[in-house]
Amino acid sequence: MAVCTGCSLLCNDIEVSIDGRRITRTKNLCRKGFGRYRSLTSDRPVPRVDGKQTGIDEAISRAAEMLRNARRPLLFGWSCSTLEAQRKGIELARRTRAIIDDTSSICQGEIVDMIIRRDIPSCTLDDVRNYGDTLIFWGCDPSSSHPRHMSRFSYFPRGEKLQRGHEEDRTAFLIDIRASPTAKILAGNFVQIPPGGDADLIDAMLAVLDGKIPKVRDKKAMISMMNTLKKADMGAIFPGLGLAYSLRGRMDRLKALVDRLNETTRYNVIPMVGHYNMRGFNQLLFDETGFINRVSFADGVDHGPMYSVVEASESCDLAMIVGSDPISSLPAGIAKALARVPLITLDPHRTLTTELSRVVIPTALSGIEAGGSALRMDGVRIEFDPIVKSEYPSDEEVLTRILEEI
Amino acid sequence: MMVTIVTFRDIFQSEAQEVDRFSEEYRRMSAVVFLDKSDAAKAGIKEGSNVLVESDNGRVVVVARISEDAHPGLAFMPNSPWSNRLVPAETDDTRIPSYKSISAKISATDDKVPTVEDLLRGMVS
Repeated sequence: MAVCTGCSLLCNDIEVSIDGRRITRTKNLCRKGFGRYRSLTSDRPVPRVDGKQTGIDEAISRAAEMLRNARRPLLFGWSCSTLEAQRKGIELARRTRAIIDDTSSICQGEIVDMIIRRDIPSCTLDDVRNYGDTLIFWGCDPSSSHPRHMSRFSYFPRGEKLQRGHEEDRTAFLIDIRASPTAKILAGNFVQIPPGGDADLIDAMLAVLDGKIPKVRDKKAMISMMNTLKKADMGAIFPGLGLAYSLRGRMDRLKALVDRLNETTRYNVIPMVGHYNMRGFNQLLFDETGFINRVSFADGVDHGPMYSVVEASESCDLAMIVGSDPISSLPAGIAKALARVPLITLDPHRTLTTELSRVVIPTALSGIEAGGSALRMDGVRIEFDPIVKSEYPSDEEVLTRILEEI
Repeated sequence: MMVTIVTFRDIFQSEAQEVDRFSEEYRRMSAVVFLDKSDAAKAGIKEGSNVLVESDNGRVVVVARISEDAHPGLAFMPNSPWSNRLVPAETDDTRIPSYKSISAKISATDDKVPTVEDLLRGMVS
């Protein structure tokens, strides 16, 4: 059995047949995971320094030299690396007095932060499978983003205490602005809201819980939903990017709702983390510094918005990007700012970021060519071994060597 | 025509992104905007035609697709370097970009859809 690192569900039931170094057959992968496996033979980068192809050793030495000479380096990415590599990354940030940030900075960071600090209760996906009788998918589309979420853990399985499954024992709602593929599955319980309407919806939900009339068009449907939510033995809320962006800076509204529900029943929150080990990086950095992201080691430990990738892209004099493609995923104006500084990139694939990098270090694909461990979206640790031999070093090996050379 | 653009994740585009960001398949899946049927009719935009999308932050040519579901005033784009041409670089105190609420103008055009290489050239110009 292998583990798929295609998303933060870290499915560990993947069957793989191998002929020498070639994967000939896989079983249980979703479409996204299959894409990750297919990428094993697509567009792998070559080691490069200043536009010229070199050996990996030379690229590593050049990266170490550039980091040594940088005054304000930014180390960004991390959510597609193993815990072992992330640990080395944090050590490298300390040693080079760098700013370190990860992709949670531009997505689910606020929610993960609340969970890690225990400001809102969470549980495991296995708890949801066995006991989660009332679910809210909120601003997410698991059918597209985490294709096996609903079948392995949340909606469809017959759990220990939910033998009649979704037909009788489980109810799931979807709150979203778009009639997504998941909305087709949960058609009868799809609550469509306008963009940015999440805070108003929470106010209406709280109003019903307080016995007041909600300020929504379909009062009857809202009251009926809240009656179902109140009856839960164990509820689970799965916030996605839609909710994260809509409530950014106002995440206390989500907490207010969860707290209120928990006065009479039990609700837990598991964010729909995208990358396979974002949760791991957030936990590691928190354990070391008390913060999940946006940390500077320039003078002890400091934390704040000025150390977010968005701001640090403007202020850094060098950026090392690990397993991420910010040139592709940041707004173009911010990506442009990042592109003006020398970039060192570690990645198993050719990306927009590798194309603009002064130093490119090709790495092994974790879960397929490199082993290690990661934290699933619910914080459960999953370990994996490599299943094929690789000519590429792992992130962990590259970072270890950079640390030795600095 | 003015719309609010919301980016989203499409599983087929995610798969293409996993495999190869420089492939024609990835561009075909990414460089699209899903329009409401009545909005498109009003603006004289046909399924499969090229449209210019302009926000305060930038502009990009993509292919128009007409949604089956009605969503007047909204348009959906898969999250990609094409949609990121439109996302404001300015952020509020949270330093989280507004990926899911971009005010933009959409109009028919004969211009070509840029390739990834075209987008990269724009980054370093």
